[in-house]
Amino acid sequence: MKSYIKHFIQMVSLGLTHTTPYRIGRAWGAFFLFSLLFIACSPSVPDSFVEVDALPAIYPDYINVTVPVNIAPLHFHIDSEAEAADFVTRFTAGAEEWAIEGEDVRPGLKRWQQMKAAALKANGQITIEVFIQQDGQWQRRKPFSITISKDSIDPYISYRLISPSYVTYEDLTINQRCLENFEESLIYGNMINSDEENGQCINCHHAQWYNPNRVQFHVRQYLGGTVIAYDDKLQKINLKTDSTISAGVYPTWHPTKPWIVYSTNSTGQSFHTRDAQKIEVQDTKSNLIFYNLETNEVTPITRDTTDLDCFPFWSPDGKYIYYVSCHWERRDTLQMDFEFIKHYKDVQYNLYRKPFDEKTLTFGPRELMYDAIARNRSVTLPRVSPDGRWLMFTEGQFGVFHIWHSDADLFLMDLTQAEPTEPTLVTRFNTKNLPDEYYAHTKNNVELDHIVDSLNEAQGAQHALPASIRNIQELNSSDVESWHCWSSNGAWVIFSSRRDDGNFTRPFIAHHDGNGHFAHPFELPQDNPQYHRQFMRSYNIPEFLSGPVTIKPQEFATIIKKDATPAQLRISDKAIDGHTAASPKAPK
Amino acid sequence: MRQANRKDKKYIDKKEQYPQIQPTSLPHGRDRRLGILYFFVVFAVLVFFGIRLVLLESETLLRAQELNLWLPTGLYWKTIMQYPGGAASWLSTYLTQYFYYPWLGVTILCGLWLAICGLLAWVYRLRGPWTMLTLLVPLALLASIVQTGYWIYYMKLQGHFFVPTIGVLYATLCLVIQRLLNSYLPKKVARYAQYGWMVLVCVIGYPFFGAWALGATGLLALSPKPKYWPLGISVLLIAAVPQIYYQQVFEMTERSFIYVAALPSFRYGNGSYEVYRIPYYAILATFLILVAINVCECFSFAKQMKSWHRSLIAIILVATAIFGVNRAWYHDSNFQKELAMNRAIEELDWERVLTIARDGSSDIKPTRQMVMYKNLALFRLGRAGSEMFFYPEGAVQQNAPWKVRMTQIGGKLIYYHYGKENFCYRWCMEDGVEFGWKAEFLKFMARTSILNQEWTVARKYLDLLKKTTFHRRWAERYEKYLATPDAFNLEKLEASVKAGQPLLDDKGMKEFAPILHMMTYPDRLDGDNTLVEMYLLQTFAKGNGDDPLFQEMTLICSLIMKDIDLFWPRFMKFANMHPTIHMPLHYQEAAYLYGHLENKVDISKMPFDQNVRDTYDRFMAFNDQCGPMSEEQKAIAFYPQFGNTFYYFYFLVRNQKTN
Repeated sequence: MKSYIKHFIQMVSLGLTHTTPYRIGRAWGAFFLFSLLFIACSPSVPDSFVEVDALPAIYPDYINVTVPVNIAPLHFHIDSEAEAADFVTRFTAGAEEWAIEGEDVRPGLKRWQQMKAAALKANGQITIEVFIQQDGQWQRRKPFSITISKDSIDPYISYRLISPSYVTYEDLTINQRCLENFEESLIYGNMINSDEENGQCINCHHAQWYNPNRVQFHVRQYLGGTVIAYDDKLQKINLKTDSTISAGVYPTWHPTKPWIVYSTNSTGQSFHTRDAQKIEVQDTKSNLIFYNLETNEVTPITRDTTDLDCFPFWSPDGKYIYYVSCHWERRDTLQMDFEFIKHYKDVQYNLYRKPFDEKTLTFGPRELMYDAIARNRSVTLPRVSPDGRWLMFTEGQFGVFHIWHSDADLFLMDLTQAEPTEPTLVTRFNTKNLPDEYYAHTKNNVELDHIVDSLNEAQGAQHALPASIRNIQELNSSDVESWHCWSSNGAWVIFSSRRDDGNFTRPFIAHHDGNGHFAHPFELPQDNPQYHRQFMRSYNIPEFLSGPVTIKPQEFATIIKKDATPAQLRISDKAIDGHTAASPKAPK
Repeated sequence: MRQANRKDKKYIDKKEQYPQIQPTSLPHGRDRRLGILYFFVVFAVLVFFGIRLVLLESETLLRAQELNLWLPTGLYWKTIMQYPGGAASWLSTYLTQYFYYPWLGVTILCGLWLAICGLLAWVYRLRGPWTMLTLLVPLALLASIVQTGYWIYYMKLQGHFFVPTIGVLYATLCLVIQRLLNSYLPKKVARYAQYGWMVLVCVIGYPFFGAWALGATGLLALSPKPKYWPLGISVLLIAAVPQIYYQQVFEMTERSFIYVAALPSFRYGNGSYEVYRIPYYAILATFLILVAINVCECFSFAKQMKSWHRSLIAIILVATAIFGVNRAWYHDSNFQKELAMNRAIEELDWERVLTIARDGSSDIKPTRQMVMYKNLALFRLGRAGSEMFFYPEGAVQQNAPWKVRMTQIGGKLIYYHYGKENFCYRWCMEDGVEFGWKAEFLKFMARTSILNQEWTVARKYLDLLKKTTFHRRWAERYEKYLATPDAFNLEKLEASVKAGQPLLDDKGMKEFAPILHMMTYPDRLDGDNTLVEMYLLQTFAKGNGDDPLFQEMTLICSLIMKDIDLFWPRFMKFANMHPTIHMPLHYQEAAYLYGHLENKVDISKMPFDQNVRDTYDRFMAFNDQCGPMSEEQKAIAFYPQFGNTFYYFYFLVRNQKTN
């Protein structure tokens, strides 16, 4: 009976809050919920109990985390290792106490506000004690605390929800979530413009400096184009030109001007036969382009076919573009995609930047900021903090799409200490150039692969991590960390991690003390604490927003149905550093 | 006396206020008794078809519930309610679970149909022989189920077996309530109540029942008989309500789908298969017939009809419907065999797979899927090398108007057992996204995750399965394996077996141990381009493993690919790895044949069985006799004598186009 009641409450509270048709029955749900709460006795903390010197196992892991003052309630589930009869959780903030019964600990918005207010009046902490009744005996697990930081967080995040699938992409949505409560809504979903014959992929949503009125995302295949909302103007642009690899892919807005730098990519994916990482996403070509929204002009920034430039990010002062690049000279196969598949572990990216002249709209020569390849590593996704001091990036052993690499970790570069450097020439080991003794003692191909990996690892370990860079161990886990974003005040970062189960990406948020150190991260709170355990989709590219995107999905759908406006190609004669610069045309 | 007058007046007033309920048949007691008899006929026909459904379609129903998922979670409800008609799907997926016991699911289905018949008879005031006409509705619903065939893998509408029944039940209940309103409210009030009810049925019902709510709105306007105002209002509602919901509520539905929400699309790829929509048009037509009967009974010519006239018309219509159901019924022995073989493999009953493969009750050649199931069973029994060509070969395309891909039907199972766990997982994920999550996919994903030693995500899938009504026990069985991670390390498992204390129970050993042997290959990046058989043949034939089971698979695949260069090193390695066993027949045949075809390997000292030599000699002699015959003619002529040899396979089995 208890489980039915619990289930009913779960159904009503979770389902009703999110599904529009369910909202029709919301009032009924609230009525029943109220009735149930009214009938239920208010829980009390047991008088006698045994102290257990172990922290409770809770999901999500909210033990000793620091959270922003305006965050939604941190609901969690108590994972009891044995059959437990009852659970009571006591929250204490200052002199006030609250007790909540059950294995799903859900204080709710109102009580959570009270807790936060009481904590802020006292030492800023909410202390949590979990009491578990087993075999008629109450146990108290070691208490833990949640620290309420006075640093607030941007109220919204946007993200794409996608099943970690491979080729198919039905039911693909770009959503926004209010971090102050549990409200989630759709920005755009692909099914509104898809049918059996015509599928649509949507990706790479990005806002200009957290502004929900200036956003862009791409639509691929059916009705493809780049949708750009800029204040009151909503348009669909075709960024593909005859002289560029593709339409725009990974975007970065200029902090203030209507300019966007994109990478253009020829991307493919292949599948691991044994490795649990399952997929390898690779570019066989990639360059950078500059798009001027005012003039609707695309200008190539880099066009070298042996350099794969990707993931640009504009520094907050607008003076630099940070990006990653892999130098690849064709080796031994006819087709580039086969070559990349064959040598996928050798595809590694370094971190570069290019100065940008706002007056002439030109980019200067590239500067190597971090020679990751020398360390047998590969970096991706540079993101500069709003104060311009810190650059966070993801590092893994190979490749550029680290969301599928379990060794991917977040690293932090102090830009005040970082200096441009020169690349180190490296020759990697492979199964054909090993010293002879290894072939003699190797039993099979699996062993040979391991030897190659360990020799290359040892070779990379000879190069120390530059002093300006550190592994953000307090944020990293044994699984993937990637796709990070700084909050507009620089006090928080949100990043994607697969630490929960290794397969589904979940957003985590961590407090930044301003000096390059972070508090223990916490998972995006959900009303149903076990939501992410049931949810079969991953969060892609969580990005902060200062408010909600107010354009309705149907409005996006209407503009997407229309033909895309083709962008005009503009190629400058002025070549810099072997690359063609952006057009020296001043903005209006 | 005065009192009596008042009573009379009240009676008269009441008669004026309430609408006249027109009996549509003769009100004699005899006909009432006959009515019960006719309803018994309805019951008997439903029982007959129910039994037939269980007897003929148990495999389909079992697979349908495996390809279904209902979860008692808010998230599941939220997900399904993103689209109009979500509640119909929610209820239907719940009920589809009961096909876990086909008789139980069918009983529920027939029970609902009987309820629909009874309610329709009451709503449309059908009496006497007309009662039988209510059968038209369940017969159309039955046709929508029995026509399914390969759509069970491709249907995107969740719970599609029950959705039409739920939709019709919703419409019927709406009609019941309308009749109750008409019966118990004063006439003027009843008219406005009808309008209000119509609005409610459409506006409230649309998000929950989609197109079925629109249909119900239309039927309300036609009941008890068509009138201009209700018709006008219903047309307006049907046109406007989905549009309003599209603009304001449903953010994930394509505009052209809003009027057909909660109906199966019968579109796949670039094709649209209209013929499958006939049962749905039939549902609509049967309702119109019932309305028409109801209306016609008001006219004098109908009143003059004799009972046998009505019986004749009803019998003709019902007989036509039964004929239609039989026409729509999907009969394909390969489809049924594929389902049965799939289930046998899931139960690790390899001999049953072979029994089904041997079944010669049909002249139709097998599909590649069946051949692969058979080869897998033989491989698992260790008899592939000696029996592989004893079974009929074939590459018959699945009987569906579109190109059926093995990845969608049995490819996942094949990948799973051949140790290609990532590819099994991949296709579960792909199809889960494309066609919706199914219990079957979660089971594969849980097992592949266990084999890949991804314990947390395996638990995620098992926890989801534990929430279902019938797969809980399955999930609990596999959950036990999470506690023994060492069991999925082949070396540790084998050591435990040698020590006499296996880390896995008997079932686990039978299922997982061979797969772990098949997983002894290095990782690389690859892709199957949706061609399961070709991918497996290529990768195994070119593979080079030291595990005995894996190594034999490389030999088998080089044999099937008829690749002489790949065969010899694998044959030699097999011989060295198994010095004590008698070389299986087909391997000997291949070596003997290749030795004669090419003189690259000296076979003169190889100890071939005498029958291998004799058969080869007879084959060649017979070939000389059949000199001028075409290859196709030879294939027929050689089959009785040599159909079970590798020689026949090598020379006369060609163009086995895989899917």
